[in-house]
Amino acid sequence: MSAPPLTKFARSPRRSGESQDRRTELVLGVLACGVLALVAGMVIFVFAKAWPSFSHNGLKWFGPGGDVGAQLQAIFNSPADPANYVYLLRAWPLIYATILVTASSVALALAFAVLSAIFIVEFAPNRLRRILEPTVRLLAAVPSVIYGLIGVLVLVPLVGNHLITRAQKESVIFVVQLTGNSLLVAVIVLTIMITPIMIAIIVDALRSVPNGWKEGAAALGVNRWRVMWTIVVRSARPAIIAAAVLATARALGEAIMLAMVAGSVAFSPNPLDGPTFFLEPIQPLASTIVINAEGLTVVPFGQTLYAFAAVLLVSAAGLSLCGYAAKQPLKRYGIRA
Amino acid sequence: MEGMMPPPIRRIVVDEPATVVAAPAATSQTNGSTPSHSSPVSVTAPRRRAASLAGGIERMATHDLSILYGDKAAVKNVSLPVRQGEVLALIGPSGCGKTTLLRSLNRLVELTATASRQGRITLDGQDIDALEVTQLRRRVSMVFQQPNPFPMSVFDNVAYALREQARKRPRKSELGPAVADALQRAGLYDEVAADLAHPALRLSGGQQQRLCIARSLAAGPEVLLLDEPCSALDPGSTEIIEDLIVRLREEVAVVIVTHNLQQAYRIADHVGFMYLGELVEYGPAEQIFGSPQEQRTQEYVSGAFG
Repeated sequence: MSAPPLTKFARSPRRSGESQDRRTELVLGVLACGVLALVAGMVIFVFAKAWPSFSHNGLKWFGPGGDVGAQLQAIFNSPADPANYVYLLRAWPLIYATILVTASSVALALAFAVLSAIFIVEFAPNRLRRILEPTVRLLAAVPSVIYGLIGVLVLVPLVGNHLITRAQKESVIFVVQLTGNSLLVAVIVLTIMITPIMIAIIVDALRSVPNGWKEGAAALGVNRWRVMWTIVVRSARPAIIAAAVLATARALGEAIMLAMVAGSVAFSPNPLDGPTFFLEPIQPLASTIVINAEGLTVVPFGQTLYAFAAVLLVSAAGLSLCGYAAKQPLKRYGIRA
Repeated sequence: MEGMMPPPIRRIVVDEPATVVAAPAATSQTNGSTPSHSSPVSVTAPRRRAASLAGGIERMATHDLSILYGDKAAVKNVSLPVRQGEVLALIGPSGCGKTTLLRSLNRLVELTATASRQGRITLDGQDIDALEVTQLRRRVSMVFQQPNPFPMSVFDNVAYALREQARKRPRKSELGPAVADALQRAGLYDEVAADLAHPALRLSGGQQQRLCIARSLAAGPEVLLLDEPCSALDPGSTEIIEDLIVRLREEVAVVIVTHNLQQAYRIADHVGFMYLGELVEYGPAEQIFGSPQEQRTQEYVSGAFG
């Protein structure tokens, strides 16, 4: 007597329980490692390309000194002989512009987003909420170039023709030309651009705060605004930090829109100028890369642009770390961070 | 009323393990008090208090109070006094409106969008609608079924109401004595005094619930509402909290909702039995458990349904 034939399932090892898991593990592992390797490769590539620019300037690369625009022009026009490549660069105005525009718009957007989210979660009438929420999510998905277009077609002429006075133009005439392309417009448009995504994240976070905490506070005779502020916003802080980090990353990397509205003049606005400070043009790092992308074929110029990219990469990584570090002390009291 | 048929009663086998919860109390000392009334068979627990403080002044009262969720009435025409210096227990099967009635006393029920109210509630003779809702809730505070300490330190939890009530933010040193006092009254101070910065959410369930009571007491309420405060707790914590409630009734009027008949018998001075939104019977605990006037009360306290 021969043994009975194996069942259908036993004969198809491809689908049998454990071996399939092993295959899944392998495939997913390879995919994950592949992604990591790609990112690591990209970082190494950018830094390798950027290295000559950093090594020629040393730490002074990050410092102030001279006109960045003229320096970039000189690098672009450097002789074809590798021995005579020009690398001199003092990138402070670009870094300063990046910090200035990012920090101001993230701070503004954070305030707007937290207050709007509180309104949507707690105070908005139901009908209004049903309109507001999808609208916010839609706005979060609008491509930045559209914001840039509106900025350059509407806000820039508005500021240039009506807000900037003749006296203000004359006061800085020997330093920079005030056209309306300005820090002010850049911050306004960037704030409008990053606020929706922050609202969306913070609304979800506020809503996930346990109802028991809200009721517990309300039962102590605390009004709705104070309940939201002292209990709900307080316990949603990790998510608010996460939203701020995400928005900051987007603001840091924003290139096209800022190139359109910020003026593309590598200038450091001087706070001592008073109100004129906000009307002076700027040029952040990411915009600098976009504006000058056609010069990549000139070797030292390309290396300089890679150096900008490297700085942006490191700041983005540093930003994530800062966000992580900021959440840690909140874990102590049992807030899910 | 006599001619009306009582509503259909859902007869189920009484869940005996639920009665077992009373066991630790039965083993605890009774402070020399003995039940003066013959209690029904199912309620064997000793009373925790020496005697009812008779003739307490009436602090709150409901007058023909009805609460509706949409069209559905959860509480129907309930008139009930809440007296200073006594524990009022609301008993009744699930879904009979006990919690809704309790939540209406400090207008927390209004947080539910569909809820509406008919009838009057008074606090010291004054209609509670005439009070600002935050003022009302400061005077009539509530402790919930699930312990809900805020995600802060023990100190900050108790100081929360004090800080919110203060006109300008008080310093920590100014709050210290008041916080210690509230913790002491809630019987938690000795356990947490060593580390008031301890995260409240890392306390045990019973400690969390006592912290919630301390948090309410710190606000200086005149009436304390307790919504099944022991249902999520172990017997040991339950016993501590029951002792606490009996002590507290001297300072504040206490209303407690409970599913646990033994608990109601142990701690309550007056008991209201609710069924399907109606207040079927209200009276001294001895009467409700010893010689109930209504048939439905008799059946409920003897465990015929639940």
